[in-house]
Amino acid sequence: MALIPTNPQWRGLVLLAIIIVVLGVLPWTVNNYWLRIATGALMWAGLACSWNMLGGYAGYINFGQSAFFGLGAYVTAFLMGDPFGLPFSATIPAGMVVTALCAVIIGAPTLRLRGAYFAIATWAFAEVLIQFASAMDFTGGIGGIGLPPYLNERFFYFAMFGTAALSYFLTWALFERSRFGLKVKALRDHEPAAEAMGINTALVKLQTFVLSAVTASVFGAIFAYWVTFINPKSVFGGDITDQMVVMVLLGGLGTLWGPAIGGVALFVVNRLIWMYWGDTAFYIAILGTAIVLVVLFLPNGIAGLFARRKNDALDKVLDKLVGSGEGGHP
Amino acid sequence: MDLFLQTLLNGLLIGGVIATFTIAFQLAFGVLHVIDFAVGGWVVLGGYLGYYVTAWLGLDGFIAIPLAFVLFGAVGYLIGPVLYNVRNSRTARPELMALALSFGLFTLLRGGMLTAWGFNTRNVTTTLSGESLAIGPVTVPLIRVVAAVFAAAIAGGLFLFLYRSRYGLAIRATAENRHNAALMGVNIGRLSANVYGLYAGITAMAGVLMGAIYSVNPEVGLRYTLFAFFVAVLAGLGSVEGALVAALLLGVIEAFVSTYVGASYSLLAIFTTLFLVLLISPRGILRRGL
Repeated sequence: MALIPTNPQWRGLVLLAIIIVVLGVLPWTVNNYWLRIATGALMWAGLACSWNMLGGYAGYINFGQSAFFGLGAYVTAFLMGDPFGLPFSATIPAGMVVTALCAVIIGAPTLRLRGAYFAIATWAFAEVLIQFASAMDFTGGIGGIGLPPYLNERFFYFAMFGTAALSYFLTWALFERSRFGLKVKALRDHEPAAEAMGINTALVKLQTFVLSAVTASVFGAIFAYWVTFINPKSVFGGDITDQMVVMVLLGGLGTLWGPAIGGVALFVVNRLIWMYWGDTAFYIAILGTAIVLVVLFLPNGIAGLFARRKNDALDKVLDKLVGSGEGGHP
Repeated sequence: MDLFLQTLLNGLLIGGVIATFTIAFQLAFGVLHVIDFAVGGWVVLGGYLGYYVTAWLGLDGFIAIPLAFVLFGAVGYLIGPVLYNVRNSRTARPELMALALSFGLFTLLRGGMLTAWGFNTRNVTTTLSGESLAIGPVTVPLIRVVAAVFAAAIAGGLFLFLYRSRYGLAIRATAENRHNAALMGVNIGRLSANVYGLYAGITAMAGVLMGAIYSVNPEVGLRYTLFAFFVAVLAGLGSVEGALVAALLLGVIEAFVSTYVGASYSLLAIFTTLFLVLLISPRGILRRGL
């Protein structure tokens, strides 16, 4: 019994260590097929985390996150292509810079406005990038663009694993354990009050948005190199954003582990549907249904389910101790 | 010069059709305070209704217009209260939850339509399809003229209802200040359901017209949602009068870019305009936004 610590914080750490060890030895225990699925699950958990930074912690819904995922993918594909031929590691920083610039250009004017304007602007930006990439020659048009193949599944697994782990660490360090996180949460909960406290809300929102966008772009870069072929729909497509939104809503908006739970759960469902039916249009309908159902019946996500149950139990104990029979708490 | 005039006229005619559903969109935002992503979905559904009326019943496409209003008005009337409840719920961020709900609804409509009907495009045929009308030096397809006339009739009817009826007064009062309207005895919940039904019905009617002018497939819904957003930003969210001006402007911009630059650049031009407006005058060019 002494091996299992009773302190919840230590329990969490032990659980985290077990997860890291399991994920670390996974590539040597499963075949390539399952390794690819695990790589995809890690990517989606990381992408959901990137969306959650702005959507969950700052409360601004970004309906065009696929734009930044796609920008990372396209910059990598473009720079590794014929005239440049740069190595993969050099293209990631380039993608990050391009993405950060785009995020500032989109975010600076629209983040000052109501959340609805921001949602419109980001969504329109992603849709326009599809049109742009389809119309231009240097992006390969609708046909897309190929990358030099690199057939090392373990490399991509660890690239996704490392980036996802870094995303979650950044989220934890910045949003859960720092003054910056307090500022972000303050502006989410009451923006005028946060401003009155002297927080430069416009700047904080922009910083969060850029961080979220750049994180997505790194995943995009790895994804492009991994699948070796991208086209406008496959990296800018609205379905990618839809999926991130569902994952975060399902897991729990504004929680640290919610996006990981929702991301892995939905990705597994996605693969199962793909295995049995192989039909993508049907999956879009399922995503839509999932969003509607979660908003209506599970607004705090799976993570909220656990938190609420714990609080309910606590409330019952407190009610018994204090002896208030009404039981109605606000 | 003839090409210029023709493009201008084409743009104004299309803009007129866009105006019908964007006016309704603005009205729904003014009352419900929800940006409805599903707007493009209602347009496409209207177009498909028009297609099935012609393909299955063998009737003229325009017969579908009143049918679309009744059918999708009823569907909207059922969805309205759900949206209203989420928007006014006690969750942490009801505004974002309502936005997510309408986004989910849009995704559901798109996925459902793709599953049911695939990626093929369908046309709404009417007796006027293929005919054209010559006005002086310019010729325009007759269908566009008639569609614009229908659109003007729908928009005119809506304005008459809003500004000449007692219920229209209640809607305008709610859009202006919901708390005061509620104090004056307006049942906001029921009115929201009615307005969403009205909006969905009008949008589906515009969809029949759009299907007759162009063609319809599940993926063009995205385009119409973008149109509605463009108009909303240009006019200022919730401004009904501004929507008319902005929609005509949108039609003209789209027509000119398509004619003189290339159709694949039209969305790019629309987005650039939208972005410049957000940058320079965030409450819309008429400065009437909420």
